[in-house]
Amino acid sequence: MNDLRERARALGLDKLTAEHLVQLERATATMKRHIERLPGNLTVADEPAHIYQAKGRGS
Amino acid sequence: MSELAFLTVAEAAELVRSRKVSPVEYTKALLARIERIEPRLHAFVTLATERALEAARSAEDEIVAGRYRGLFHGIPYALKDIVDAVGLPTTGHSKILIDNVARADSRVAARLRAAGAILLGKLSTHEFAIGGPSFDLPWPPARNPWHLDHFPGGSSSGSGAGLAAGLFPAAIGSDTGGSIRNPASLCGIVGMKPTYGLVSRRGVLPLSFALDHVGPMTRTVRDNALMLQVIAGHDDSDPASADTVIPDYSTELDRGVRGLRIGVVRHFYTKDFEADAEQVAAIEAAIEALAKQGALISEITLPPLADFSACGQIILAAEAYAVHEHWLKTRPEDYGARARERLLAGAGLTAAQYLQAVRWRHILKQRTLRAFGDIDVAVTASGMDPACRIDDVETLALNYWRQARMPFNVTGQPAIVIPAGFARGRLPLSLQIIGHPFGEATCYRVAQAYESAMGWVMQHPSL
Repeated sequence: MNDLRERARALGLDKLTAEHLVQLERATATMKRHIERLPGNLTVADEPAHIYQAKGRGS
Repeated sequence: MSELAFLTVAEAAELVRSRKVSPVEYTKALLARIERIEPRLHAFVTLATERALEAARSAEDEIVAGRYRGLFHGIPYALKDIVDAVGLPTTGHSKILIDNVARADSRVAARLRAAGAILLGKLSTHEFAIGGPSFDLPWPPARNPWHLDHFPGGSSSGSGAGLAAGLFPAAIGSDTGGSIRNPASLCGIVGMKPTYGLVSRRGVLPLSFALDHVGPMTRTVRDNALMLQVIAGHDDSDPASADTVIPDYSTELDRGVRGLRIGVVRHFYTKDFEADAEQVAAIEAAIEALAKQGALISEITLPPLADFSACGQIILAAEAYAVHEHWLKTRPEDYGARARERLLAGAGLTAAQYLQAVRWRHILKQRTLRAFGDIDVAVTASGMDPACRIDDVETLALNYWRQARMPFNVTGQPAIVIPAGFARGRLPLSLQIIGHPFGEATCYRVAQAYESAMGWVMQHPSL
């Protein structure tokens, strides 16, 4: 719990209670599973659109 | 009263226009129904009775004087409580914003006001459109009108519940990872997440700038098209607003599906997830019904659901944390447990991880649009399961991820959910139809063909 509290403090989340810290830990674990799916083979040319626009057919 | 309660927008508009029903009479009937049912349903956070009656009287005066504005003139509706209406609270169903009163209309509320629609009030949502159902907030969560001890879906919970219960004929919802389509699925109503940028988000509490969509929720496909007609259009004050020509969404509604090419994304509900058997059977029956009407059916493959989910959830978590960082640091105890946990998911994300997800989004979108190259629309599941009990914490947690809605927040394509029958215990089942970007009219055309053939929309819960 102390380690978790230190990590939260480092993020500026120093008002989290013990219950909140357990939630932070669970949420971080869930997010870790998503992060593990990020592709490792993006090329340097795979640039995001700076403003996302869904383009229609023929546009 | 119940006859007025379940009028469609199209039916009510004709009665109002021809002065067979007055907006005051209609509004009073719905308010009386709300008074009777709301204590059990909890669809509303704020009910604006006096304001609604004043607007109804004003509409009636204008119509009698020959100044009929169009199909939404004198038609009651309600807003999800993350959408501003001047002078009314916008709480996000949260203690954090319990004293927040909107100083101006959101763009959608302004458009509906200009059309003469009558705002009944603000609707229950999962806290800040992310955390719910929750019992630790200032207002209780909405219930499913088909079974009051069941989950109505979310986050646009009050919109879905109130429509199915006959409290109003139209509502506004928002959809960042499926929040229009989930309550549409579980309450048995029609919910459209339009193309990203088609409907302005101005005056709507943000959750994730890149994934937030605002859209219409109704009981019928035709009503949904009519409402989108009012709220769609370019808005300079929304940086993501698309500057595009708005077609007439009703023109093609009754053209049928003969010759239309429909791609089935079967792996979403049979391989990526194994959907409930009755939900699978309902989708397959819908595909068969569309084929019988002359649609050309094929099967298409998209990237795995888990990829869309991971990409979307990383973007959502990072952006939602940016929105809520100040309050999470200063007032964490003022959130409900569910919203706090979901929002804290973004706390430790790095800038690089967020940007990798945004780059990945572009690739997923390109792959999806390539798969759409030879089809006009796709069909698939929305959720994998009918509604569970609202107090079944384990099933709620499981079902949250068992869905095929996030892919189209990631790609920005239009996606509509329509009723597709009932499971055991009379719980609604659903079908999702996805179009090309700005292809809402074709989605509506397919949805209307199925709705007309099956007639599910004629069934209502007993309350």
